Amino acid sequence: MEQQKRSEGMSAAELQVLADCIARARSGSLEAWGDLYRDFAGPIFRFCRRTMPTREDAEDATTEIFMKLREKIGMYDQSRPFQAWLYKVAANHCWDLLRRRRTRQDLETEGVDEMPLEHPDPSALDKLLEDRSSQDMRTALARLPSRARMALVLRYYSDMSYDEIADTLGVRRNFVGVVLLRARHQLREALGERGSMGAAAGRTQ
Amino acid sequence: MSHYDEMTFLQYLEGNLERARSLELSAHTQHCDACRALLGVLQRETHLLTHALREQDEAVPARLFNPVRERISWAWVLSFGMAAAGIYWFVTTYDQLSTGLTEAGIGKTDLMSTLFFNGVTMKGWSSMWTAAQWLAVVSLGVIGFMLVRKSMRRWNTIALVMSALVAALGMPLGAAAADIKHSEASYTLKAGETVKTDLIVFGNSIQIDGTVEGDLIVFGQNVTVNGHVMGDALVCASMLTVTANGTVDGSVRYAGGNFILSGKVGRSMLVGTGTLTANPGSEVAWGVTFGAGNVFLNGRIGRDILGGGGHINLNGYVGGNIRLHGDAPVDIGSSTEVLGKIEVKGPKPPEIASGAKLASAPVFTLVKRDTDTFSSFSWWHKLLAWGASFVFGLVLVLLVPAFFDDTVRTANRFGVSLGVGLLLLAGIPLAALLACITIVGLSVGVPTIFLYLLLIYGGKVFVAAWLGRMLMGKDGFAGVMIGIGGQRVIKTPAILGHLAVGLAILYALRMIPYIGGWITFAVVVWGLGAVGVTVFKRLSSRSAPVTAPAPVTA
Repeated sequence: MEQQKRSEGMSAAELQVLADCIARARSGSLEAWGDLYRDFAGPIFRFCRRTMPTREDAEDATTEIFMKLREKIGMYDQSRPFQAWLYKVAANHCWDLLRRRRTRQDLETEGVDEMPLEHPDPSALDKLLEDRSSQDMRTALARLPSRARMALVLRYYSDMSYDEIADTLGVRRNFVGVVLLRARHQLREALGERGSMGAAAGRTQ
Repeated sequence: MSHYDEMTFLQYLEGNLERARSLELSAHTQHCDACRALLGVLQRETHLLTHALREQDEAVPARLFNPVRERISWAWVLSFGMAAAGIYWFVTTYDQLSTGLTEAGIGKTDLMSTLFFNGVTMKGWSSMWTAAQWLAVVSLGVIGFMLVRKSMRRWNTIALVMSALVAALGMPLGAAAADIKHSEASYTLKAGETVKTDLIVFGNSIQIDGTVEGDLIVFGQNVTVNGHVMGDALVCASMLTVTANGTVDGSVRYAGGNFILSGKVGRSMLVGTGTLTANPGSEVAWGVTFGAGNVFLNGRIGRDILGGGGHINLNGYVGGNIRLHGDAPVDIGSSTEVLGKIEVKGPKPPEIASGAKLASAPVFTLVKRDTDTFSSFSWWHKLLAWGASFVFGLVLVLLVPAFFDDTVRTANRFGVSLGVGLLLLAGIPLAALLACITIVGLSVGVPTIFLYLLLIYGGKVFVAAWLGRMLMGKDGFAGVMIGIGGQRVIKTPAILGHLAVGLAILYALRMIPYIGGWITFAVVVWGLGAVGVTVFKRLSSRSAPVTAPAPVTA
């Protein structure tokens, strides 16, 4: 299913071209590397732009990620989707950079049980989201703590599975849902602070 | 009516809910307005979020897409260019250099260079020019090869090179106009036998009782010349003995542990050895140049002596001038007769026995073994040395930033770098020697030696940059970053800062008594290894993409 999702938008022929290109890159073809770079530098740069604090950080991280890819291409399992592997390497690198900058929050010890089971007021949430542009969303995202932002990017930009997210962030698989939900709450708070809306989450039953 | 919680909705939307529970929730939303509304708004939120994240709102920076260029060729072109320049420089300044090296005490610094420089000129200037021309051809060939290399697969390339090598080695030996004896434990050219060409021998114990009409080139353990060599003798062995019956009509070039001369040498001697003994009755028609630990010159030397060493004892005839640089007092014995001038540099004046016949009193210059570390001259000298190293590093950063950065990264792996460095330290001179005496030729051997010396000198800049980066680097941030596809971000001020600080620390460490020398040695080995590993990685991993300089100052 993941493979289908990640490969959507690519025809069988395009997938074959990509597979050939990867094989040539593995055997050392510079041209193939150039092709891969041209195809994926943009997505990887945007990934970094979403996860790293500044544009310059994102540019630097992009170059470093491709250096890593070059070293690790031999380890790529061709039965898996290339993009998934690509994002995994990118995510690990960015997360590592953030960790080294000590901007990561250490919330791993918090358990699922501590997340209150809520049924937010749909109309309040609807109102909060009303007329929100993509730019508003991105501005709010940028204000989130690193881990919340990283979790949302891994899930909704890179389309990673919960297992992959758990592996990247170093949390238990069961905890990924909590991380994502909490990230959404934080995003709503950020949106609310920015706009005139109050907290969206109303507690019910 | 109870409602589903937000987490359950999220799991449902993400497809993580079990099938039974999904169906249950789906049925529930059919008749629960609140839950249906929440599901709808969560879906909308997901959509907004995904769209916001995936929207291509800003262009990818242009510098990530600079033109792709092959970068390894730079390193090679530069290497060969430097080697060619070195040859040219050497040819034009040979005389001063030779004197300078000798006066500096070649035995203690770079014997290899002297050996080779002189070895090259055994055949005269013409072969130097031939070598330079060959080098130019080889450089052009390498550049051409680099250009077509892209379309060649690595294994094809290796196969081609290996085939060429095998073909070259398999060529008829007559092409080299030499008789080559390989891998023989013991070789004897019997008395009465004659080799009409050059004789090249590899072996443990080598005895020349017969006649060699060309040059004698020997690599071995114990070498004894008891016969007649009509050309030059180039010997690399732990022990060389030229017996009273032995004669070399040309010059003798020797590198090894112990050299005993009892016979005659028709021209000059150039010797780098632990002990050099010229017995009474021995004769060298021209001059003697040496770098040696213990020297006993008791025979007859027709012209000048130039040398440096530990203990130097003179007790024979010298037809020309003597210039010596000794660590201990030079002993001039009672049987000494010198027709020319004597200049001695060292810690103490020469000790002259009564009975020695000297044309003039020796001129002595006091040279302390270690100059005062803290004198102003010494500081000035060190500052100059630091500056020269910095400029060397600067040139490398500007010319081959990607290679520089790769090497600094490699230096981060101490173990590999030091191990490979030791291997190269011993291996390169050996390979160069082999290249010089085999069919591969001087055109490969001599540039190799130039590169080797350059690396011995220059390896420290990589270690210094690494050191600076370790101390100053933020988040392990690299001053130069290379990406695939050609982009490069050169934080020039950052890397130059690393280099400057690293070099300053290295030069400071070198001043520490006793361990300073070891630190210098370790840095040389480390740098050499880092370069070696990087070059090897680049040659073996053709996946190395590309970069074009696109300096963006930080």
